[in-house]
Amino acid sequence: MFRVRIIWGLLLLGFISIIVARAAFAGPDQSNSPLASPRPLDQVGFPHELYGWVIPPDNPQTPAKVALGKQLFFDKRLSEDNTEACASCHKPDKGFTDQQPTSDGIHHQFGQRNAPTVLNAAFNVLQFWDGREPTLEDQAKDPIVNPIEMGMKNFDEVVARVNGIPEYQEKFKAVFGGPATMIDIQRAIASYERTQVSFNSAFDRFMAGDQNAISAQAKRGWAIFNGKGRCMSCHGWNPTQPMFSDNRFHNIGVSAHKSNFVPLARKALALLARGGGAQQLDELAIQTDMSGLGRFLVTKDPHDIGGFRTMGLRNLLVTQPYFHDGSQATLWDVVDHYNKGGVQNPFLDGGIVPLGLSEPEIDDLVAFLATLTSPEYLSAAQVEFRKQLKLSRTSRPQRDTAAAMGQLGRNGPGFEGPFGDIGPDQNQMAENPALLGGR
Amino acid sequence: MHRYQVALLLAAGGLVSSAGMAIAPRVLNAQQPVAHHPVPATKNGNVVVMLCDGKTSLEIKGLKPGHTMTHDQATAVARQLMQKWQRAHPGELWQMAQEEGTQMRPTTTEQGNPSPNLPSAPNQPPSGEAPNPVPHPANPVQEQVQGVPVHRQAQPQQQGDTYASFNQRDFRVWQAETQKFVEYGKRVFHSDKLLGGTIGVSCDMCHPDAANTHPETYPKYQVQLQRVALLRDMIEWCIENPVKGATMSPNDPRLRALEAYILAQRKGVPLNYGKH
Amino acid sequence: MAVRHKSVETKYMEQRDAVLRGLRWLDRRSFLKAAAAAAGAVMARGLMPPHSFQLIEIANAATSKDFGTVGHQGSAPFRIAYISDSHLYERTLNQRFIRAIVRAVEDVNALDPQPDFVLYGGDLAQLGTRQQLDLGRQILAELKPPVKMMVGEHDWFLDLGDAWQEMFGPPNYSFDWKGVHFVVLMSVHEKDFWTARHMTPMERMRTVAGLDNPIQSRFEVGEEERKWLAADLAKVPHTTPLVVFSHSPLYKYYRDWNFWTEDAEQVQALLQPFSQVTVIHGHTHQMLFNRIGNINFYGMLSTAWPWPYAPQGLPPLTIQMNRADPFDQLDGCGDGQFMMRADGLVDTIYALWDRNPVSVPAGYLLSGGKSDRPPAPQFASY
Repeated sequence: MFRVRIIWGLLLLGFISIIVARAAFAGPDQSNSPLASPRPLDQVGFPHELYGWVIPPDNPQTPAKVALGKQLFFDKRLSEDNTEACASCHKPDKGFTDQQPTSDGIHHQFGQRNAPTVLNAAFNVLQFWDGREPTLEDQAKDPIVNPIEMGMKNFDEVVARVNGIPEYQEKFKAVFGGPATMIDIQRAIASYERTQVSFNSAFDRFMAGDQNAISAQAKRGWAIFNGKGRCMSCHGWNPTQPMFSDNRFHNIGVSAHKSNFVPLARKALALLARGGGAQQLDELAIQTDMSGLGRFLVTKDPHDIGGFRTMGLRNLLVTQPYFHDGSQATLWDVVDHYNKGGVQNPFLDGGIVPLGLSEPEIDDLVAFLATLTSPEYLSAAQVEFRKQLKLSRTSRPQRDTAAAMGQLGRNGPGFEGPFGDIGPDQNQMAENPALLGGR
Repeated sequence: MHRYQVALLLAAGGLVSSAGMAIAPRVLNAQQPVAHHPVPATKNGNVVVMLCDGKTSLEIKGLKPGHTMTHDQATAVARQLMQKWQRAHPGELWQMAQEEGTQMRPTTTEQGNPSPNLPSAPNQPPSGEAPNPVPHPANPVQEQVQGVPVHRQAQPQQQGDTYASFNQRDFRVWQAETQKFVEYGKRVFHSDKLLGGTIGVSCDMCHPDAANTHPETYPKYQVQLQRVALLRDMIEWCIENPVKGATMSPNDPRLRALEAYILAQRKGVPLNYGKH
Repeated sequence: MAVRHKSVETKYMEQRDAVLRGLRWLDRRSFLKAAAAAAGAVMARGLMPPHSFQLIEIANAATSKDFGTVGHQGSAPFRIAYISDSHLYERTLNQRFIRAIVRAVEDVNALDPQPDFVLYGGDLAQLGTRQQLDLGRQILAELKPPVKMMVGEHDWFLDLGDAWQEMFGPPNYSFDWKGVHFVVLMSVHEKDFWTARHMTPMERMRTVAGLDNPIQSRFEVGEEERKWLAADLAKVPHTTPLVVFSHSPLYKYYRDWNFWTEDAEQVQALLQPFSQVTVIHGHTHQMLFNRIGNINFYGMLSTAWPWPYAPQGLPPLTIQMNRADPFDQLDGCGDGQFMMRADGLVDTIYALWDRNPVSVPAGYLLSGGKSDRPPAPQFASY
């Protein structure tokens, strides 16, 4: 069975490489790209159990519905001036992101948040960086009516426009038994998005028992990921939920770069107190400097200030740049950020502490992260990896070795106490989790 | 099949390690090495397996080291090994594992009231060479030795080189050794120095009397590790994180003693693996 | 990427870290100078330091009917902040506990409005050395409101209170503030277990420092101090609101861990004649509240680490705090505030770090748990 999958994976890989090459010249509309097609569930590492739990009972997957959803996903007529589709910011060849720090909406307006990938979004417990919508169905409607994303006036306008297109009349009747409604539009789009599941990575093959699937360096990185790097505490992997996310919200200090949390939070509370519902929340998150408050906008709980959802890590070499504001260009920058203990702020998560990772350890960790690439994105990821590697040799804006090593360094002269809460010997692993792959 | 489970497992253990395991629950203190019972060599280099009494051994004709037996062969070997033991100990009763949930060790119980059916006669082994079924005392005599209930064997048939021959002194020795091990664990638990900590933090600072260590809930999914953990995984994690020390080797006597102390503090709490 | 803009907040935190780093080698004078410079840098911009954000006021105003109302006794409501159980080691050994108490100091300094005073709840030091106490004194000196000090057993049993009293004065005293009579007790006396055992002072200290060490005796206020308390209270009308600060709980919770005051009943008897009595204690490092007779009891959080709930004796009115996550060094720790109400009773806010604050109004205790119930934990203690 396993061998069959490998062969299947190799075939797919070859096939995909051709497609990727072709997709690069395919122009803006990628709806015909194989990368846009529903993906098979028979992938190494695919969480069948979990997938069964995340399909909503009131919106089962059917081929006709998925096809309809796909058409809607790529249809620019869902935007006010017919220039933006969902796919404009969630491009299949770019890992269903736009690879920009923040996204370009109608009339070239830019929001405050980095476009998260659609890949494996089916498995998110909550949607958006701040979890302001619970499901893919709920999520799908917000960008359509956001003034600087797709800019439709309201949902009635969306429904009217869809129903005015004969092709859609026919298809909605076939799939949902009547003219389009907003919720059915959302259901169709969500159904399509749930087909974008992407596993089959070298890491998945390693975990399935192929010791040669990842390099020795990546294996060291996997050990760091689970040990000294403390990554797994939020980005944990297990076979039941292999998504590398705890689906929780953490302040790691990203928006402390440019936000004054306290006055912002006061301002947000005052605005929210007037009560504008989901749409107001969406606009605050996308269009204002209150975006940096993150989860707080949704819960109004002080401990959620500056907290953002833990993103999954799969295919992260095609979903750059990183963090909720797209502020970091390379994985080295991301690791540097964590290594120095994030950016200090009063709401910083108590688990974010300096890590004391050395330069080789950082390289190992990034090498591991690169193994999370699915085969259909392998060549694009290799290009990006080389680009980031090159950049990281000359530019490391987030690096702060003194902070990472406990201010004065663990072995600095006369320094007896670990300032940065760094243990003396975290290289020692009770057990290298890399060995798990050999079972 | 259940009747052979224990013997079979022990024999299989011998196969792998080429050394039998001591039947006595030998309690190791911190410095004591694990005892080994080498098996006798054979002329033609066949594998020899040993029973867990550390004495009874059997050469397996035609099996060389590194080769494995089928399940049926292993079952037959286990049976032969048991028969050999029974021949050497006529009239003695081997405490067979009866069914799941039946205790193997007959001698002491927590309540000082051994279940009367506990050491019941084993079912007739299919080999035919069964030990004589021995009627069991309906009301075994109990006495207290320093708070340890002791089941004194009244039947002469029970005497011999087995469990049944252990006396009060043996129990006291075992108890004292166990207690020393736990006491050592307690010292480690309360000492940032012994733990190898670097910031003055020891286990008892957050876990007085090992409170909130809940050893009975392991194995369970441990969020800090993002995987299923055993108690000792979490001990290691705590040594590495709040204590800021170096993780210990699995054989480190300090780690073993810590585990012993933590478990000892929860004596009597039902096992409840996976509880959160 | 280009060098990013640094917020005022980030700069403030960097300055704070610089101060903290300075603790390593600075003497007290230089430390204060550096600390003042950092604080001044923020104040000069007319900006509040980050912890001034106090959402709890909004939450509290919404849930507590009593707070902020005009009192029938004419005394204005006011606020007391607390910091407790910091267990400082020498600065070279452990800086995690230092960072925690510094965070608490910043929390308090940022309260708006400022509290009338700050109670330090005892156990400033871990092993009672002069260096540990002095380090704590330096950090507490950064508090903007006046500080009322209370002694804990970790401060006392190395030299039986010499260094602490030298720095902070007598361990038991009383004062009046805005119509409320406050008493601070030294409630961690122990019977002499050390002389007969020929213990060194440090052995004695380490014995007391271990919660589960059975050798030590139980805490007590002691006969002499009870006499002092009786005499002090004799001057106070029974209608005057009374607040007693004590490091040990002044009731019997769990003997094995010295969550216990041996002469609790005698002390309680001295407090019973008063119509509004609140006892505020340290030592237990957890959300803990109780009502015995007419006395409301509140335990304070620690800045250093949370204790688990004891296996027996937990007051039935206590709502446990969620089990602490050891991955998060701040979880289960914090500081807090007492809202002195116009009616002479006290509402308590447990400002748990990395969690939402929990408000425990006096009405919850008064009603025997029927009203104003704080939220229950998802994971109670084992």
